[in-house]
Amino acid sequence: MKKKEIFITSAFTQNSVWRQILGICSALAVTNLMLNSLVMGLGVIFTLALSGFTISLIREYIPKRIRMMVQTLIIASYVIIVDLFLKAYYPEISKSLGPYVGLIITNCIIMGRAEAFAGKNSPIDSLIDGVGAGIGYTFVLLIIAFVRELFGFGSLFGILILGDWWTNWSIMVMAPSAFFMLAILIWIINTPRQRRG
Amino acid sequence: MANEKKLFRETRTYPVVFMLIITVIFIGILATFYQLSFEKVQQYREMQLKKMVMNVFELPTQNIENDFAKYVTIQEMEDILYYESRSDSILLGYCFPISGSGLWGTIHALLAVTPDFEKIINIEIVDQNETPGLGGRITENWFKDQFKGKILINNNILNSFVLIPENETAKDNEINQITGATASSKALVDMIYKDIKKYNLKLRADL
Repeated sequence: MKKKEIFITSAFTQNSVWRQILGICSALAVTNLMLNSLVMGLGVIFTLALSGFTISLIREYIPKRIRMMVQTLIIASYVIIVDLFLKAYYPEISKSLGPYVGLIITNCIIMGRAEAFAGKNSPIDSLIDGVGAGIGYTFVLLIIAFVRELFGFGSLFGILILGDWWTNWSIMVMAPSAFFMLAILIWIINTPRQRRG
Repeated sequence: MANEKKLFRETRTYPVVFMLIITVIFIGILATFYQLSFEKVQQYREMQLKKMVMNVFELPTQNIENDFAKYVTIQEMEDILYYESRSDSILLGYCFPISGSGLWGTIHALLAVTPDFEKIINIEIVDQNETPGLGGRITENWFKDQFKGKILINNNILNSFVLIPENETAKDNEINQITGATASSKALVDMIYKDIKKYNLKLRADL
């Protein structure tokens, strides 16, 4: 496969969230603010790309029976690096993301890409695949956060957009709205595909 | 050589050795990162706390390092750290850490009072896990500012604030609660009452 093709496939045609329904938990949890979603997305892109690269690099040496343990160890290490970095340099964001950065470890997308792609392909291809899947994930997060922050707080990236006349919808701030938004998004994207075939 | 290596890779010890080596490598990398960021994280935490203490005492926050040393002394009472602010050795107020259960978790705050415990100087929320946009609004200024200058102790009786709806005008012993977050507003009022009682008993005992 060509590099560009790998990227497009993992980011859009086989998007982890709307095609494979993976990584839903964090997509629901952090999407009430655009900034949180963006930082979460960047953390996932970083982890996906580097864990994919590393796992692919040593794939020949990983004993088959303990490969999951090795993958988890590598993924966890990168996540902790992200967490430490945020705590040291962006403490405010780290505080508002709370435990969700640490929970990137359990994000099914990362384990999924490690199993499905990095274990069988070259390091560079795995890196591209990781970035692609991460961008696809971030893209979904930002769409949901756009609607939730706009209706829930009347702002985007913390900048007030809607004026005083706007009454904030409390439901958009809380978890249930994420379920609705995600379901609607998956519905809209997948309907034309199903009509076709 | 190649033959030997292949043989070792098929033995039962290979996965154990492999896991051991890779664990040591990655823990090593993490430990390095941790060491590198440790100081910075500590610094930030200390700075945040100092800034909050300065805020609740309503002292200037332009030059925290200097002013904190100049005005504030840290005191200890039964493992709890609290703060005193002084100007020319005259006691201006106490700042106590207070805490209580919110809706989702413990709320931690700093409360500054006058030396006679009669009035609240200011309150600052240190840590909370309330619902963002609802209970989380206890960190908003309009809500915190309501406590400024409120009478705490009147004729040796500790005031308990009464919560009233958000848009009504509050009297002296009343606090406008946050719409949709009664539990969080109540938690704050309750923890002020409970903890001030505790600190007053230990420092002055005039209740």
